[in-house]
Amino acid sequence: MNRALKNQIKAAGLWLATFVVMVIMCVPGLWVVLSGFRPNREILAKPPIWIPQDLTLSNFAKIFGFGAEQVAIPVLSYFGNSMVIAITSTLIALSIGMAGGYAFARFRFRFKNSVFLGLMLFRAVPGIALSLPVFMLWSWLGIIDTQLGLIIVYVSLNVPFTIWLIDGFFRQIPISLSEAAQVDGCTRWQAFWKIEFPLARSGVAAAGVFAFLTSWNEFALASQLTRSTDSKTLPVGLMDFTAQFTIDWAGMCAMAVIIIVPALVLTFLVQKHLISGLTFGGVKG
Amino acid sequence: MSLNAFKTMAASAALIPALLAGTAFAAGDYGSFEDYTLRVKLIGGAQYEPLYAEISKWEEATGATVEILSRKNHFELDREIKQDIAAGTLDWCVGSNHTSFAPQYGNIYVDLRDHVSGDVLAGFVPLVLEHSTVNDRLVQLPRHSDVSNLFYIKSLYQDADNQSQFAAEYGYDLAPPETWQQVSDQAKFFANPPDFFGTQFVGKDEAITGRFYEMLVAEGGQLFNDGWEPTFNSEAGVRALTWFVDLYQAGAVPAGVPNYLWDDTGLGFASGTVAMNLDWGGWSAFFNDPENSKVAGDVGLTRAPKGSAGIRTGWSGSHTFSVTETCDNKEAAASFVSFLTDYDRQMVEARKGLLPTRTQVWDDAKAEFRADGNDFLVTVFETYQASMAEDAFTPPLIPEWIEVSNVLWPQLQAAMIGDKSAKEALDEAAADARIVMEDAGYL
Amino acid sequence: MIETARGRAVGPAPPLRRRGPDLIRYIRTHQTRLTPVLLLAPAILTMLFVVAMPLAFSLWTSLTPYRLTRPETIETFIGLRNYIRLFQDEDFWAAFGRTILFLAIALNVEFLLGLCIALLINKITWGQRMLRTIMMFPMMFSPILVGFQFKFIFNDNIGILNNALQSLGITDQAIAWLVDGRLAMFSIIFAEVWMSTSVFAILLLAGLFAMPRDPIEAARVDGCNPWQVFRHITLPFLMPFAFIAMTIRSLDVARAYDIVAVMTDGGPAGRTELLWTMIARTGYENARMGQANAMAYISTILSIAFTYYFFTKLVAARRYMGGAE
Repeated sequence: MNRALKNQIKAAGLWLATFVVMVIMCVPGLWVVLSGFRPNREILAKPPIWIPQDLTLSNFAKIFGFGAEQVAIPVLSYFGNSMVIAITSTLIALSIGMAGGYAFARFRFRFKNSVFLGLMLFRAVPGIALSLPVFMLWSWLGIIDTQLGLIIVYVSLNVPFTIWLIDGFFRQIPISLSEAAQVDGCTRWQAFWKIEFPLARSGVAAAGVFAFLTSWNEFALASQLTRSTDSKTLPVGLMDFTAQFTIDWAGMCAMAVIIIVPALVLTFLVQKHLISGLTFGGVKG
Repeated sequence: MSLNAFKTMAASAALIPALLAGTAFAAGDYGSFEDYTLRVKLIGGAQYEPLYAEISKWEEATGATVEILSRKNHFELDREIKQDIAAGTLDWCVGSNHTSFAPQYGNIYVDLRDHVSGDVLAGFVPLVLEHSTVNDRLVQLPRHSDVSNLFYIKSLYQDADNQSQFAAEYGYDLAPPETWQQVSDQAKFFANPPDFFGTQFVGKDEAITGRFYEMLVAEGGQLFNDGWEPTFNSEAGVRALTWFVDLYQAGAVPAGVPNYLWDDTGLGFASGTVAMNLDWGGWSAFFNDPENSKVAGDVGLTRAPKGSAGIRTGWSGSHTFSVTETCDNKEAAASFVSFLTDYDRQMVEARKGLLPTRTQVWDDAKAEFRADGNDFLVTVFETYQASMAEDAFTPPLIPEWIEVSNVLWPQLQAAMIGDKSAKEALDEAAADARIVMEDAGYL
Repeated sequence: MIETARGRAVGPAPPLRRRGPDLIRYIRTHQTRLTPVLLLAPAILTMLFVVAMPLAFSLWTSLTPYRLTRPETIETFIGLRNYIRLFQDEDFWAAFGRTILFLAIALNVEFLLGLCIALLINKITWGQRMLRTIMMFPMMFSPILVGFQFKFIFNDNIGILNNALQSLGITDQAIAWLVDGRLAMFSIIFAEVWMSTSVFAILLLAGLFAMPRDPIEAARVDGCNPWQVFRHITLPFLMPFAFIAMTIRSLDVARAYDIVAVMTDGGPAGRTELLWTMIARTGYENARMGQANAMAYISTILSIAFTYYFFTKLVAARRYMGGAE
């Protein structure tokens, strides 16, 4: 057997091993996805039914209210709210984070380290400690149960980490590039958009994915600050499947699939940027 | 209740519109509120939703529009209402309520006797209206009631081997239990862990507090004495708690019960792995539905057994509707809650197996089931009607009930899993409960 | 005007002394000094608005007997009574200790597992993008969903885990995962680890990608075995990434609340009671917001301490790396 072939077999074996490890890691999640396509009596059977015998879309049909057996869950408005809230708050957090990150990377000012650390520590305040005070403040401002109310909260959840990543990224880019552009007649603003920003794109993408996932999946604060279809997000909508005495687990799993798929697609699309973004973002400098 | 249970129930209720078309619906009955928008917060969940499909009829009759601000499960709704009180945002009119939760909310709800006529109120079961009264104010109109009775697997009791073995072992005949002592004996007799269990109970939160509380009453004890001193660490209390501890430690109930809530016990009995199950009436249809339940067709039901004091357990609560004091059109709100609890609406809910609060509906629903040949539901309604009328009692209707429950249930669990003796656990809980009552100004 | 690694002492910048009458001239001459302030203003304002203001409010309520259902109680000042009560409350300190234990175990296990996964994936040359996406799969799950998912998986009677164990003949018992003293804690940590290992894996993988090849090659030539290479070259290089991951995770560990609340809600008998479940119960169910906010303050301090600890570690590791480069 020649050496190249041996290496190939070795590589294939390694790939397979890794794949198996990944799959095992995903089993609890895959079980949820699969359960979305099975009826309750099959998922919760004892003795268990290992091989699905009755794959069905009826859980989804019920969510959307087809068959009119129950009041439909307003999943489209939840989906819309989640999209609007997650995307808007991510974009705002990225802009604020880029400005802040640029300031940390390119300027020297007093209390710089304290300000940086302060921003991080603010993020560490547990959501449960904030839930009531934020609620009171928001109701005073009249933004309870609005998309805006949740967007503001999520922006603040995501700003610190975004600043961190983007700061690290701008440090990577030699300032001489920007200076050269300015010598050539660009303003600092132009130099930023033409030279520095394109180079930092991966970092921005990585920060964006993290921010999006945080906002997309957040439950604790959303469950406090939203009330109706005006602003309820998908994770809060999961609670529609619980009643006082019962939980409709199959329905919840179907809803979970609806939540997971967009996030998974987004993550897959920005994979390439994600790794390189994180590589330079955090540490070097 | 799962969607599947719902499916069959919905199928059986497909006749509703046809039936309703026959009943005279006088448009003037509920007043006229043209162009008014009534803002409401309702309890959500599969078994509560069919009623809301009726709302459009009220809208048609009165010309008003109903805006449902939120539809959540009761614990979430409770939190939301408390936040509304805190932030002063009670800008809605009608809210779902529950007899156990109502005392917490102080005076945010109106006394409905000022807004609903005596004729209407006369149709309700008197005991249930009494349970809906807090500080002499009728703060809620009951929609449907809940109390628990004992479901069991019939064939186990008919089996000749079981009968002879049980009689030999325990010295009396095997029959559906009359006392909790018998439940305990039979549970141990049937148990064969991990495949089969004698019985089960919910094991955390207000659920276990309520189960302990009804057992305490059945043993002749009380939570508090007349001066609001906690007295549940009495001998009766120890006996009540020991009943749970003993079954748990004997392995006659699933090892996971300290983490069980209502869905676990319901699904557990439906899975055919539990011999007896004390549970709410709302589960009846589910248990007897072949789509969802392995024991369908084999379900027996007997009234909740008695404790050593000769009293039957009967922890009860009712789902209700309340009208806020801040409501800008209390007349419309009162009309709406009267509509949701009227005869026709209760029949809609009764057909789904929910227990009505109007005397007339109990009888008419039974007659209807009998005419349909649905003997099981006839038995269910007879059993539950008897216990609602004779056995039902509520927890103390004080705002501190949930708080007392929260100091009590971790101690109940501690005794169950063997961290403490029953007496120690109850003594500690009583000491903590005393502090709660002191803080609240009772002592 | 390039800044070097953060963490090195920043030279004293000239202080903003003159707040002269001629504001415009001042801004012109100090433009570069004001720019960072302007750039940072949105970030700082957001954080002050969403975090600092509510915290000030809750600090006040923690000094009152505030009950949600009796809004007027917010006006009664009782000083430190809520805190004094907490300091005497054994259950509270047990929950405090348990929270630290929970965090310490979860973060370390997540780190180790994440490291293994990252090392595996790093070796893969083909189809890596797909594997990386699979690796991040658990990150798509909302914590509330993770809670329900593991509540069902760990159910003793009809749960999939016990059913699997019994079918495989590993046990004939119905193991009470969510009840047994040790297993209950294990189960909630397991759920937390499942949800968050991916964060470590992805960050450590990024670290491996950034790693220069030369030192490894050199060490191999010098006759180091793979373990030695890993121990003395790869691992030190990865540590800053590990601390970043730790810092990032410690920023939002409290989202584990959603999981625990659904799975056990602190039970049985307080065996899995963490600060967060205790706060939620006291604040909302018991409606004692004043008391709950006092607890929340102590838990905030705990979170900040964790974050601060990892952050200083990170700064130290960076300095070490800065010297090595």
